Amino acid sequence: MIFISPLIQIILLGYVVKTDIDRVRVEIVNLSQNIHAVRIINRIQHTPLFNVEGIYYQDRDCMETFKKGKVKAVIVFRDALERVDKKTGRENPLKYPEIQVIMDGIDSNTSSVAAGYFNGIIKKYILTDVERKGFRMPVENKTLIRFNPRLRSINYIGPGIVALLLTLVGLFLTSVSIVREKEQQTMDTLLISPLTALQIYIGKALPMAIICIFQMFLGIGVVTLWFDISIRGNLLYLLLTAVVFLFATLSYALLISTIASTQQQALFFAWFSMITFILLSGLFTPTENVPPAFQFLVKINPLSYMIKIIREIFLKGNGIEYFYKDLLSLAAIAVTVVTVSLLNFKRFISK
Amino acid sequence: MSRNYWFHLSSTARTLFEKSPHIERSPRFYNKTPRSGVKRLKAVIVKEFAHILRDPTSLTIIFLMPLLMMFIYGYSISFDLEHIQVGIIDFSNTDLSHRLIKKFSNNRYFVVEDLREKYPGVNPMEEGEKLLKAGALKEVMIIPVDFAQKIKNGQTTDVGIIIDGSDSNIANLVYQYNESIMMEFITELQKVEKLLSVKTSILFNPEVKSSFFFIPGLVAILLMMISAILTSLSISREKESGSIDLIFISPLRTREIIIGKTIPYIGVALGIGAVILLFARFWFGIPFRGSITVLFIFSFLYIVAGLSIGILISTIAPNQKVAMFATLLITMLPSIMLSGFIFPLDSLAPVLRAIAHIVPATYFLRIIRGVVVKGASLKHFVMEGAALIIFAAVLLTLAGIKFSRNRKKK
Repeated sequence: MIFISPLIQIILLGYVVKTDIDRVRVEIVNLSQNIHAVRIINRIQHTPLFNVEGIYYQDRDCMETFKKGKVKAVIVFRDALERVDKKTGRENPLKYPEIQVIMDGIDSNTSSVAAGYFNGIIKKYILTDVERKGFRMPVENKTLIRFNPRLRSINYIGPGIVALLLTLVGLFLTSVSIVREKEQQTMDTLLISPLTALQIYIGKALPMAIICIFQMFLGIGVVTLWFDISIRGNLLYLLLTAVVFLFATLSYALLISTIASTQQQALFFAWFSMITFILLSGLFTPTENVPPAFQFLVKINPLSYMIKIIREIFLKGNGIEYFYKDLLSLAAIAVTVVTVSLLNFKRFISK
Repeated sequence: MSRNYWFHLSSTARTLFEKSPHIERSPRFYNKTPRSGVKRLKAVIVKEFAHILRDPTSLTIIFLMPLLMMFIYGYSISFDLEHIQVGIIDFSNTDLSHRLIKKFSNNRYFVVEDLREKYPGVNPMEEGEKLLKAGALKEVMIIPVDFAQKIKNGQTTDVGIIIDGSDSNIANLVYQYNESIMMEFITELQKVEKLLSVKTSILFNPEVKSSFFFIPGLVAILLMMISAILTSLSISREKESGSIDLIFISPLRTREIIIGKTIPYIGVALGIGAVILLFARFWFGIPFRGSITVLFIFSFLYIVAGLSIGILISTIAPNQKVAMFATLLITMLPSIMLSGFIFPLDSLAPVLRAIAHIVPATYFLRIIRGVVVKGASLKHFVMEGAALIIFAAVLLTLAGIKFSRNRKKK
């Protein structure tokens, strides 16, 4: 189980958690008799970014299409009414059709990205057409995309999933461990043994930590080999961060398990902590958007530091000089949680 | 099970049974066992209501938990992108380059800083690289020395743009914003009309807020989780206390038990749903453009689907602990991951997209976003409604089969 479950989890999550936006479903209404319209439509049909659901040649009620939610955008081509612009008195020599893009704004992320794709297609078309007619662009952007040049979302999500795996195993397995002994009453045997509280505590946490570290490396193996993500940074830094992170997570789990009186309660606690940890960690959505009132939740969330550091190590190959501050915050959290949970554990034992 | 079986019951079971008077039967009153299915169903419903009312603490937790989650997550999950930090290295330092920079700083998405001004004395290129790596900048723009001159001479000049691509979505947007600002700059420069006008109009959500997307989604996920948890505990609770045997030996038909155990929770879940929706409307300001009745009908179907998941789990799970955990796992994960809640369904792998079609949240997400934000009506979601009904019917049947098998084993 310890071998296979992280493999399955990572592979499954790697496929599901995709924020890439492609195959955006669009509908095209072509009311133009312009050859350019046909050419542009042809380009839209041949890009994997869009999935053309239908091309229509009469006006349609696009409100109805949107209400059904079948498409994300309707693109309408119309002939410009007059070839001479009234304002400038200038003749439009190129006679491009008028294009109107109507977007379903609910999924704001998809619609802004899709609008960008569309503008890109149009721009490219015009550039090639215009250049053929002997016209030059005064300024051109030469864009270089660093760290993730193919813009694959898995490169960003993959390392995050490795961090997630650590939390999953650490929180769930550990949080029930003491409660189970409480329930089976084997705890009493431990308590009357000559072991000190600290020894029991370490004895509980250490095997979990070793399993977690082992799983992390297994996870890294899957991410690098299966999803083809290269590690640019130093794995030793990652190990160091993971150890600090595990201190915090495992102690938190032990804290849960001393507070909870049944395994059910412990699991419930662990579950909701985990969901909150994940949603406020920047794994799926950027944490910059979390409103100020909730920023403290991000600040005290060990997973948010872990994910930030693991991404920097994987994607940017950063050395410790870039993330020592995050590491220190993580350590501070770890020390606090360890202290609280140890004190609580001692009190629990002396009962 | 033959009805004669009743006469062979041990006396202890008989007395136990008489202690629950709202189940209108005991062997002694065999002749009084209601013959009409409706009456027997009513008995189960009354009994289940008693269960709910007897445990006010759990009921309160179940009411408050989704509100708390809605509060925290509703604020925290957002894709809105503002304040993109851009570092500019202006080697040209002319009126033209200043005009370009002004275009960037006037845009509401970008926060612009001049690296040479801010970090004098160091190599701005190195500083830019460092800040990019540290994540303090998302983009570095380099304007070359001969920027203005080349434009004046009618040549093409290049502007270097380096984007931090680690988060592919953000990088994509940053790239697009760059392109469109540059296009604007060019058309201004040439003093020509735009070669081609692309008018983009964004319907339903003109301010492009991602809360319009996430809050209704959150409602769907919480509703699924709550309704499944409610029923998942109902049969497993009886298994734990042993009262399940009494139900097994009662003359109730399996379908009456299953349906009777579902109906009371419809009311509870609808109540919770109403509270969550009010919260979405008045706290998060999500406009309600559709008809409440339509939303009510679909919520009803969705809740029944959720409850039937819970019932099925609870016929399989041996105790409440397993039932609860299995429910959380089975409802939360697919509802979040495979429903289009955060991750667009269209870009999923085909196999996963097929799986997404058996997740009820997939359908309800489409419905609730359509009805609440777009004001869609009943006719737009006939297929989705049918899918929910089929889903509930299949699961309830499976639960019934599993339940009667357990019954026969006893």
